[in-house]
Amino acid sequence: MNKKEVLSGNAAIARGFYEAGGAVAASFPGSPTVEIMHTLNTEYPDIYSEFSVNEKVALEVGIGASFAGARTLVSMKHVGVNVCADPLMTFTQTRINGGFILVTGDDPGMLSSQNEQDNRFFGKFANMPILDPSDSQEAKDFVKTGLKLSEDYNAPVLMRITSRVCHSRSIVALSDRENHQISGFSKKLEDYGMIPPNTFQKQFDMQDRLVRLAEDANRMSINRLEEKETSDTLIVTSGLMYQNLKELNLDVSIYKLGMVYPLPVKTLKELSKKYKQIIVLEELMPFIENEMKIHGIGCIGKELFSFTGELGSEDIEDGLLKAGVIKDKSSESIEIVETVGRVPMFCAGCPHRPVFDILKKAKVSVIGDIGCYSMAVLPPLNILNSIISMGACISIMKGMSKANTIAGNKEPLVAVIGDGTFYHSGMPSLLNMLHQLDSSYNMTLIILDNGTTAMTGGQPNAGTGKYGSQYDMHVSIENIVKTMGFERLKVIDQFSYKEASKSINEELKHEGLSIVIATRPCALNFKIKETNFYVDPKICIGCRSCVKTNCPPIAMKAYKGIEKLKSSINPYMCVGCSVCAQVCPVNAIKRKKEGQNESV
Amino acid sequence: MSQYNIIIAGVGGQGLILTTKIICEAAMNGGYDVKSNDVVGLAQRGGRVWGSVKIGKKIHSPNIAVAGADILLGMELLEAFRWKSSLKDKGLAILNEYQIPPVPVIAELEKYPQNIVEEFKKNHHVIALDAIKKSNELGTDKVANILLIGILAKNTDIDKKNWIETIKDSVPEKFVDENLNAFDYGYNL
Repeated sequence: MNKKEVLSGNAAIARGFYEAGGAVAASFPGSPTVEIMHTLNTEYPDIYSEFSVNEKVALEVGIGASFAGARTLVSMKHVGVNVCADPLMTFTQTRINGGFILVTGDDPGMLSSQNEQDNRFFGKFANMPILDPSDSQEAKDFVKTGLKLSEDYNAPVLMRITSRVCHSRSIVALSDRENHQISGFSKKLEDYGMIPPNTFQKQFDMQDRLVRLAEDANRMSINRLEEKETSDTLIVTSGLMYQNLKELNLDVSIYKLGMVYPLPVKTLKELSKKYKQIIVLEELMPFIENEMKIHGIGCIGKELFSFTGELGSEDIEDGLLKAGVIKDKSSESIEIVETVGRVPMFCAGCPHRPVFDILKKAKVSVIGDIGCYSMAVLPPLNILNSIISMGACISIMKGMSKANTIAGNKEPLVAVIGDGTFYHSGMPSLLNMLHQLDSSYNMTLIILDNGTTAMTGGQPNAGTGKYGSQYDMHVSIENIVKTMGFERLKVIDQFSYKEASKSINEELKHEGLSIVIATRPCALNFKIKETNFYVDPKICIGCRSCVKTNCPPIAMKAYKGIEKLKSSINPYMCVGCSVCAQVCPVNAIKRKKEGQNESV
Repeated sequence: MSQYNIIIAGVGGQGLILTTKIICEAAMNGGYDVKSNDVVGLAQRGGRVWGSVKIGKKIHSPNIAVAGADILLGMELLEAFRWKSSLKDKGLAILNEYQIPPVPVIAELEKYPQNIVEEFKKNHHVIALDAIKKSNELGTDKVANILLIGILAKNTDIDKKNWIETIKDSVPEKFVDENLNAFDYGYNL
């Protein structure tokens, strides 16, 4: 095959897995890696791939497939590895049958994440070799390298990729799919039954594979030296930092690591004798730098480069200027023009809008969770008081209620959670509410069931089956809640604004735990577009009730011949959800009739 | 072989990702090396989004690290303005004059900036039009981005046939004609 394609890093990983003869893949959606499984789902039918219920489940599906001898890929965002850390830390002790690669998407600069953790430390913690690709071609190649390393060294492999490399596109040369036989599970108790004494030998096995990997790393082609004869400085780097450094076209030697753990210690020690100084260039924490120092290789790194955020070429120049490697900067950094800001907001027709409008008017403070509704922490809503991790809001509400009770405070509490997050890890939290439930404490849990895992691009989840027979899971949250034994439950249609408002406000006042399920589907994912609405400026009194719902197409406007500003609706953006028309006190907002011109 | 550093700016939901994808593929089909960046994630929901495409003989980093964009493709006027300083002196600004008010404007806390096109004209070449309105006149508001790509295409050395081939591969078959029609409009502007 002699074909090239422009692929994102994510799509290249999927391609690499296909070419490597991969058989089973699992993930839970999370930026920046969501497109890996999406690509496997949509473009590679030879591979079994799934978005699992959560990351722990995904990893365990992967463990089973690898046990059975299939080449396996599991992918997730960086924080997903926290969720699957329990099986990972024990799986890493077992004998690898089918090659296993875990792809983690780290997010320097937190473009779409709740923290900035550096998962290379997870790789070391779990005694795994770690690969770090710098562009799409390497992302594809390293999946194949990783699966081979996994089988050859008897280790699950961590591929750490950063959000830029996930989403950046570049040209990739394609190859054909290798044939990889699925050997079957050996059932050797000493290799897979991980309790003592079987685990004793495994500690030595893990140690041994790292020693072998560190030795062989000196000869691996993915670690390479690019020497400049006149340079007395060696820069050790990996991933996108290599590309950003190359961009500067400097007269400096570079050691590029494809595998960042374990390090090719012997090679680096020899190089350290030859060079006056070694600089480690890496984003986030000083991982490579620390590893080098542990092995007695003198270097500097984080005293030159920030420990947080992304490092662009201009940041690299700043650091190298400090180290005296360069004398001047090539030019000034881009500074974006200081102008009006633009935070993300709920889409036109978003089913979360009326719920948060009602909660805002009720003047409550809400414990949040992870999903599109996290955006309710942003202006102008500013209604969420906390966001921590998937499924956390229910247990946080319980803990607060218990602490408040001890303090003699019975302040009512409200929490919101989406359907994907509820299935992911909200369910155990809800179950735990039954334990020592205080029936006199006013708590309200609102489950925003929009039928999809929306924030990451609308992946189907356990409840999406109600919106189409192509989705095989049709789990009713209402039934789960009832089966668990919760009695106070209301199921609402939040697009019937007045009824929804009445129901939510009743539950907000109810002494004890009540649960509200809001059932409207995601407008974006299900492409809901009905005839748009318009404002009749002659009726509009300029009260801004509609504007306050914070809907993208709605803004105040100066109409010709009308002195005061009146509301307006952008017809291209309106999807006809009717919420603005329902909050309008004077019926100035009307649905456009067929054949009628756009806004008046 | 020329090098083109292109910054693309818009509002989440406007189709920035497909736009960068089409530019990348046309560049590859035209025999260039290419790398792009997309900002994907939280900002997709109506936030500010931007991307970069670098086209040339050999590209290392997808980032346009220094104030070195040859072309700024502004899919929304305020977002184009935000990236004004990324553009080289005398660089080309392709501006969609279509305005999407951000939250502070909707909430009447701030005004949507005025005279943006005039600001660009002070030290850049400017091609400005309301691409949504024009696209709608051509039959559908869905082809605005392709219209803008047409303008961009005309200002590169990449052969027109590479663009047409890429667009045909990128849009559903039944929409090919209306997209090529919009591309031609932009290309011949």
